[in-house]
Amino acid sequence: MRRVSLALVALSATAALALSGCSASSSDPGSADGSVVKLLGAEDPATFAPVISAFEAENKGTTVKYTQVPFDQLSSTLQQRLAAKDKDIDVYTVDQPNVSQLAAQGFLEDLSDLKDQAKKATTPEQYSVNVYQDKLWALSVWNSTQMMFVNNDALAKAGIAAPTANPAERWTWEQTVDAGKAAQAAGSKWGLLFEQVEGYYQLQPLAESLGGGSGITGKDMLTADVTNPGWTKAMQWYADLYSNNVSPRGVGGFQTSPVFADGDVPFFIGGPWDVGKFAENAKFNWSVVPMPAFAGGKAVTPNGSWSWGINPASDHKDAAKKFLEFAALNPAGNLATTEKTTIIPANTEAQAKYLPTLEALGGTHSAGVADLITEEIKTTAVPRPVSVGYVQFESMMNKAFADIRNGSPVEARLKDAQSQIEAAWKKLR
Amino acid sequence: MSVTVTRRPRRLRTGYLLLSLVGALIGLAFLLPLWWTLVNSLRPGSDTFAFLNPLSWQTFFTLSPNLDNYVTLLSGDLGRAIGNSLFISVVTVVAGLLICAMAAFGLSAIPFRGRGAIFGIVILSFLIPFDAIAIPLADMFRDWNLQNTFIGLILPGIGNGMAIFLIRTFFLAIPTELVEAARLDGLGWWGVFRRIYLPLSRPALIGAGLTLFLFQWQAYMWPLLMGTDQNHIVGPVALSNLQGQFNVDYGVMFAASVILTLIPLLIIMICQRYFIQSVSTSGLK
Amino acid sequence: MTAPGARIQRPRAASPLPGTRRPRRRSRLVWRPTLVALAFLSPALIGLVLLRLAPAVVAFWQSLQGGGILSGGEHFVGLDNYVELFSSADFIGSLLVTLLFTVIINPVQVAIAFLLAVLYTRRAAGSGFWRSLVILPIAVPPAVSAVIWSVIYRPDGLGNAFLGMLGLPAQPFLTSPTQSLTAIMVLLSWVGVGYWMLFLIAGINDVPTELYEAASLDGASAWRQLWTITFPLVRRPLAFVLVADTVSNFLVFAPVQILTKGGPEGSTNLLMHDIFNRAYTLGDLNTAQAEVIILVLLTLAIVAVQFRLLKSEDAA
Repeated sequence: MRRVSLALVALSATAALALSGCSASSSDPGSADGSVVKLLGAEDPATFAPVISAFEAENKGTTVKYTQVPFDQLSSTLQQRLAAKDKDIDVYTVDQPNVSQLAAQGFLEDLSDLKDQAKKATTPEQYSVNVYQDKLWALSVWNSTQMMFVNNDALAKAGIAAPTANPAERWTWEQTVDAGKAAQAAGSKWGLLFEQVEGYYQLQPLAESLGGGSGITGKDMLTADVTNPGWTKAMQWYADLYSNNVSPRGVGGFQTSPVFADGDVPFFIGGPWDVGKFAENAKFNWSVVPMPAFAGGKAVTPNGSWSWGINPASDHKDAAKKFLEFAALNPAGNLATTEKTTIIPANTEAQAKYLPTLEALGGTHSAGVADLITEEIKTTAVPRPVSVGYVQFESMMNKAFADIRNGSPVEARLKDAQSQIEAAWKKLR
Repeated sequence: MSVTVTRRPRRLRTGYLLLSLVGALIGLAFLLPLWWTLVNSLRPGSDTFAFLNPLSWQTFFTLSPNLDNYVTLLSGDLGRAIGNSLFISVVTVVAGLLICAMAAFGLSAIPFRGRGAIFGIVILSFLIPFDAIAIPLADMFRDWNLQNTFIGLILPGIGNGMAIFLIRTFFLAIPTELVEAARLDGLGWWGVFRRIYLPLSRPALIGAGLTLFLFQWQAYMWPLLMGTDQNHIVGPVALSNLQGQFNVDYGVMFAASVILTLIPLLIIMICQRYFIQSVSTSGLK
Repeated sequence: MTAPGARIQRPRAASPLPGTRRPRRRSRLVWRPTLVALAFLSPALIGLVLLRLAPAVVAFWQSLQGGGILSGGEHFVGLDNYVELFSSADFIGSLLVTLLFTVIINPVQVAIAFLLAVLYTRRAAGSGFWRSLVILPIAVPPAVSAVIWSVIYRPDGLGNAFLGMLGLPAQPFLTSPTQSLTAIMVLLSWVGVGYWMLFLIAGINDVPTELYEAASLDGASAWRQLWTITFPLVRRPLAFVLVADTVSNFLVFAPVQILTKGGPEGSTNLLMHDIFNRAYTLGDLNTAQAEVIILVLLTLAIVAVQFRLLKSEDAA
């Protein structure tokens, strides 16, 4: 705290100035030899490296710079920075159900002139998630579905024949729980586990299967409907999983897939990304089969993943649009976005090329996955609802799921959720 | 002390042993969760939850430690992020300590009218939750073009009401006679501050320094609002970036957190010795 | 930190001169010190006003605005956001949880920190090392300490494994509305008590050793010395720790956010978490800012009470 430290202050202050000066000047390299497109997303930089270099090779003079924001803070960070008209974002990744809100806020550039191309490139579901008030606001880059992973060894121990990958022979939830209980009796720690135990994305199909709908209705999609018989029955079934010790309480976040990989549960509801994970970690005989449906109910699978959109405050909209078209509409470009990660490309052509690679990841374990995914995306996929109020809806519902899982009375808790959602939506108007 | 030792050697020795034992047990209990983290940073992420229950020796030990998780980190942004965080934190500590200690001196050594009101402002400023006002503050910083700059990241850490409050608390313990005598000897206020108050309050300064350091070392929301391009990425953001959307490798995440914990630990250990020496001699009191 | 090798200048004037309070001329006495003090204070004051108070004023202004994304644009709504908060059962619940939390955690943490500080300032083998271990958790990134404790609190986790070893029944911890808040408090104490202990150690080390020696010669027990000598003499650092700990505990949200998201059934929905959720997840900035203002007023009231209590014992 004497002369030495005073000198330190001066020194470090100068250093700080110098550094910030450098970066300020380097952060905006002139557009003399083309422009810089800034992409913001939540993935590891390695994930987007292939699509970026493929794009740069085709478009000499344009470079793409990627910034990663932690996944759990992506939407809040986007909210704050887009509201401030931050020019450091040109293209950004959008969680599909958030498209309407971002569009309503004026945080997405209108892409309606690409409507025809976009429609051709992907499935009707994956096209419609990007449409709000008849305008197109984003392009689907990735898609997803859910499947059931089976520990065949655990079932064999209980003397139960494992389900097959054929969607026509889809198991019911009732059947699955019974088999899970039998496996528990034969030594398995748990019977059935969802990967996203408190996530709307995975639990929406339960209610949809029983005719409960997505939970959002109305012409403006701002009426909550989560107390109908379908929802109540589905959630009661879900609550019973936990009160009957078929599923573990208190295990959440990213700690669910290790439960399956460690051989502690015979049935696990997960996504395509789990194929690669289990190929690496699971040391037993496993297979992939369709996600079950309720007896007498509809077969429904979750759908949807990420779209990309353009920031209206961007200074490089033309270059940004070129990059976006490359990543979403160009099959080769779209395929490049999935080179370093296990997720389904949204572009139909790219998807056909990609799925065999995915199936090969797990060897014999994941045999049939390509056909299964193609079939589910075509016939059973139900995307999350398109509503300006989705963000509030999802947050309130996830809390309700958590409470229901921990033993709150189902009917009352859904009623609470309904009024909480409506209170939050009142603020939008 | 020597007098007491010769007088009651037996009682003291059992007391010494007992205190050592209790001290060690409590220390180990606090360490245990971190030890578990350290062990799991030395084995593959797929084994993280394999030995939880029932407890076995493998829960807390591994026979085949490897550094793979640490090697993985080398390819990412963490190295740069730690460098940036260290730079930001050190500048904050040095500049912040000076500013806060000066303010504390103004509030404790020099009697003047309105002192209470100004102290009130200091207290009020530290009751305001920083993360809650970060959004309006970020708007102000953007107007001043401070996004993606080190200045933008450092500034919010410098004026810290809690550090001022802490240093003032210890400054108040310094007898006023000392100041008056020094003033009579012809020492200016700056001299009183530098030669009497600062040397006499080293533990408080270290404590305040740690407060300032940790504020920046753990800063998370603010860097995200201010923009985190790769040149300005900080430790906690890099750590969170390891947690992907579909997957997280706990082995790698724990390795990163071991590194992020070791640096403050080293600083705390180095500062320990200043705590052990009692600074103000008893003659002063 | 402190420059290494800096000469420790023992103040020359260590011989206090009795009767130094000689009368000085009024005019100099009145305004000179004020100017000097302001000069010392100004860098910090400018910083605090610009970086804390100004955005807080903006936040207050925002709390008086309303209007959603569909109606387009914000407009002045007066105290509507406040009225709405106080008529919401969820907010009242959050307020009550926060008060309960404050009333329990602060005295407990300060007491533990004080006892630990006493323990680790006694002569014992390796106390400097053990003490460092207790301080260590404050350095752990909050995201990671939350992961560690989620593993401890899992039904098949380390916590129940230990209870099983001791022959105790397994506990639900975070999944039970009656245990979750306590579980969060244990986690926070693991993180925080070492940190607060640090300041109390600094205070205890300032207590002249002669006082203990004299008391020992008088035959006072260690326990008695603790209450008659140590406690009164570290009252000032204790007051600081109590106030600072109270304020920090009002601002807790990271572990709640990661571990329970306020549940089960709102049992851990601390105000700061509610604010964070409202501002960053729901995007309802105006109501969130109203909540911030309420939180600051609440903290202010409790800290004012603490100051008053402590002042009566001449602490500030």
